Amino acid sequence: MRPQDVIVCDAKPLGAIQRLYLVEIVKGLAVTLRHFLGNLFGRKYTVTIEWPEVKREYSERLRGRHILLTREDGSPRCVACYMCETACPAECIHIEAEDTPDSATVEFEKRPKVFTIDLLRCVYCGFCVDACPKEAIVMSRVHEMAFASREEAVVGLDQLLQKGPTAKLDLGYRPYYGAPRSRIQLPIPVTAPAEPVGAR
Amino acid sequence: MANREERAAAVRHAFPPGSGVEEVGGVDLQTFRVDRKVLPAFARHLKDDPALDCRLLSDLCGVDYPDREQRFDVVYHLYSIDRGHRIRVKVPVREDDAVVPSLVSVWKAADWFEREAFDMFGIRFSGHPNLKRILCHPAFHGHPLRKDYDPGQRWLLREGEQLAPSWADEVQEDEDHFETQVLNLGPSHPATHGTLRAVVRLDGEVITQAEVEIGYLHRCFEKMAEQHTWNQVIPYTDRLNYCSAMMNGVGYALAVERLVGVTAPPRAQVIRLILSELSRIMDHIVDIGANLNDLGAMTPFLYMYEAREEIYSVLEACCGSRLTMSYVRIGGLSFDVPDDFESSVRYLLKRIPRLLDDMERLITDNRIFRERTEGVGAMSAADALDWGWTGPCLRASGVAYDIRKAEPYLGYETYDFKVPVSHAGDTYARYLVRVEEMRQSLEIVAQALGRMVPGPVIVDDHRVALPPKEEVYTEMESLIWHFKLVMEGMKVPRGEVYGYTEAANGELGFYIVSDGSGSPYRIKVRPPCFAIFQAFEHMLPGHMVSDAVAILGSMNVIAGELDR
Amino acid sequence: MGDDAVKPSPPPTAGAGEGPGAARRRPDGSQIFLTTRFEQMLNAARKNSLWPFPMGTACCGIEFMSFMMSHYDISRFGAEVVRFSPRQSDLLIVAGTITDKMAPVMVRIYEQMAEPRYVISMGVCACTGGFYRAYHVVQGIDEFIPVDVYVPGCPPTPEALLQGVVKLQEMIERGETQYQRAIAARKAAQAAVGG
Repeated sequence: MRPQDVIVCDAKPLGAIQRLYLVEIVKGLAVTLRHFLGNLFGRKYTVTIEWPEVKREYSERLRGRHILLTREDGSPRCVACYMCETACPAECIHIEAEDTPDSATVEFEKRPKVFTIDLLRCVYCGFCVDACPKEAIVMSRVHEMAFASREEAVVGLDQLLQKGPTAKLDLGYRPYYGAPRSRIQLPIPVTAPAEPVGAR
Repeated sequence: MANREERAAAVRHAFPPGSGVEEVGGVDLQTFRVDRKVLPAFARHLKDDPALDCRLLSDLCGVDYPDREQRFDVVYHLYSIDRGHRIRVKVPVREDDAVVPSLVSVWKAADWFEREAFDMFGIRFSGHPNLKRILCHPAFHGHPLRKDYDPGQRWLLREGEQLAPSWADEVQEDEDHFETQVLNLGPSHPATHGTLRAVVRLDGEVITQAEVEIGYLHRCFEKMAEQHTWNQVIPYTDRLNYCSAMMNGVGYALAVERLVGVTAPPRAQVIRLILSELSRIMDHIVDIGANLNDLGAMTPFLYMYEAREEIYSVLEACCGSRLTMSYVRIGGLSFDVPDDFESSVRYLLKRIPRLLDDMERLITDNRIFRERTEGVGAMSAADALDWGWTGPCLRASGVAYDIRKAEPYLGYETYDFKVPVSHAGDTYARYLVRVEEMRQSLEIVAQALGRMVPGPVIVDDHRVALPPKEEVYTEMESLIWHFKLVMEGMKVPRGEVYGYTEAANGELGFYIVSDGSGSPYRIKVRPPCFAIFQAFEHMLPGHMVSDAVAILGSMNVIAGELDR
Repeated sequence: MGDDAVKPSPPPTAGAGEGPGAARRRPDGSQIFLTTRFEQMLNAARKNSLWPFPMGTACCGIEFMSFMMSHYDISRFGAEVVRFSPRQSDLLIVAGTITDKMAPVMVRIYEQMAEPRYVISMGVCACTGGFYRAYHVVQGIDEFIPVDVYVPGCPPTPEALLQGVVKLQEMIERGETQYQRAIAARKAAQAAVGG
């Protein structure tokens, strides 16, 4: 390495005032007092988000709980192609396919009879969303789902299918993003956002 | 600086053909296949010969080829800091006679790497001072990385079967006839970052003997990688060094891209560089903060954590997760960054130096901190190299080795930054080097923001990268590529590669062997803190217990990386 | 999705009788395991002063640190006193993968904690082993110790863990944690034998 690429940081010997330490105490207290007084009069350095009264808005692409999207007639878009099950590194998706009886077009031949995701195995990596060729599985921004037992966490079709119109869903990680609903907010806001941001 | 032919000639001169050393062609690094009888002499020659001068043992691992007659390969990766070349040495052994001479007397760094090869494959190293299992627990049967070992086969460890060093039971008295005490530091201890255990013998407050046990977070990354496809390994790489998750993914992706023969587009390289440097800052914050916390200074950790949270907000907006990003793909990145990325990073560039200044005002010239850390855990440059140290710990001992300058990747040669070096080699020096590295990383990010050219973020090659969704929905050919990539995995040509990057802790190496299929055949991760931590038990005697905590904090041991 | 109402348990058998083991119901039909105002006050005190023991082994340990720091601040829930000694804590948060080597250590720490003690399993590695179906990883800490709340996520965001702590607080208030159920079962058994 050339000498101009290197910056030497050796310890500088302490001066007499620094050894005495009393001045250093005052300097250190000045830093912490600045934070304290700044917080006391005007909350300048406060960064605490007071959950659950104030909730930070998650980013547009958060990888949370999965949602199975439906077509206009309410049937799941999923055609049970098993690509999400294969792409999942945790093997947490379990699908059983069946024939769609009397389907209008031959395009939708299969549908899932059983579609379960073990939410306590899932690592929320989003590979299932990347792998789906039908935009049938997307992830929402719901990430707060504590369970009291392991059996509760294996969710099936009834809990995964979307409830309500697509425009009202609180979607997170998905193949296409329109105009972003949430932007990166720095510094992180400690007060509630102005308009509510979808279901929690 | 000798080139490949000159080095081969120098080796042939010392070891003529027929003496057991032959060069193997057609691989990325200069590789020698060596017979095990000649191995100690060859290793000594590689280290001492001035033209070869391989003083750093980067990695030592085993590979299992069950179809070959000589089933195991012990692979050594060596590096010469002054000459700048890398050499790989392979020693094949048969299964029924899997004994290889130990190289601990040549490079001290071989210590724990050989124990790991024994644990994972059953290869014995004759002459090793302490050949015991290191990652798996003592009641484990079998050698897990062999190809015939079932990945889910577990063995239960009962309470009484845990490791108890034999010297711990001896009753020893010091010169005043007081009994010395044996104490466990860890595995559950506020100052063990992650789960580590050090058994120490104490004479009052002074440590006289120490032994370290690791493996409490051995999550079998290498076996899991063999069961998944190349892209599915990326979430596993995130969890290696979880404080700076992006850098592991970038290192892995760069190594696989070398094997496949693609290069990520320029925009992806710049974004990877920016996020890697931000991850480096995050890792140093955790390390310095946790170190200070152990010494009793809790305030700077609280201040610096605000920087981490704000970097998390940026990362969450890019890829959806704060910590384990899985953002990298082979060939680039999965998505482009959002459009407020640049303004957010500029905000960070103004905010982080102010927080760093606050922390430095409290800590750097503080007499208490200096007295607790100066002179504690000193390591000389020659010793550090012998132990295989890399990264900030090595640079604090005076050796100016940084892969970003020595063998640049991702375009680092075009950026103007300095590498901090200190000469004392103690805990205080490591702190100073890390703080300066954070400032230099901010410099690099500032320059990189000006180079974000518009363009694709993943290669256009559909044998490697998933096609864009609009093509998958409409075109048949793209749907078929998509299907093949998901179901069978990306096919990587047969071969092997050793990819190395400068992670936050040092040289993070990925030795990848591919057999042409959609899953890796063997991935060996060379964790930087594995080499650093193996010196710990030799540094401890003579220090006090509270110094042990200070030294441990300054080494930045991340258990996810250490134990994989 | 996690905050659903408590499902009512089956009604008590006829032989339970009056006394401390008897069950009463709230207007919405959910069962009250607690009977005395004293116990309700005690549970209110316990739920607001949980002292965590963070067994932070892996990446979830880093998110746990986030959860302790200024941005999310568990001291608002009375849980700031993070004690690394099991004798001084009552909430064991297992944050991170537990391997077979670490399992006896975890069991020993759990046994050293004094009752009442609660366990939150944070992150999918602690809940089920996550995506490490491997030879050295415990496939869920409930192989060894009883768990009250499972928090999914890899790692869970600090908000998810906060919601898990709030859920635990609600469970303590209603008397549904493993420890409280064991106490209630013991009392019911004593009442059945005695009464």
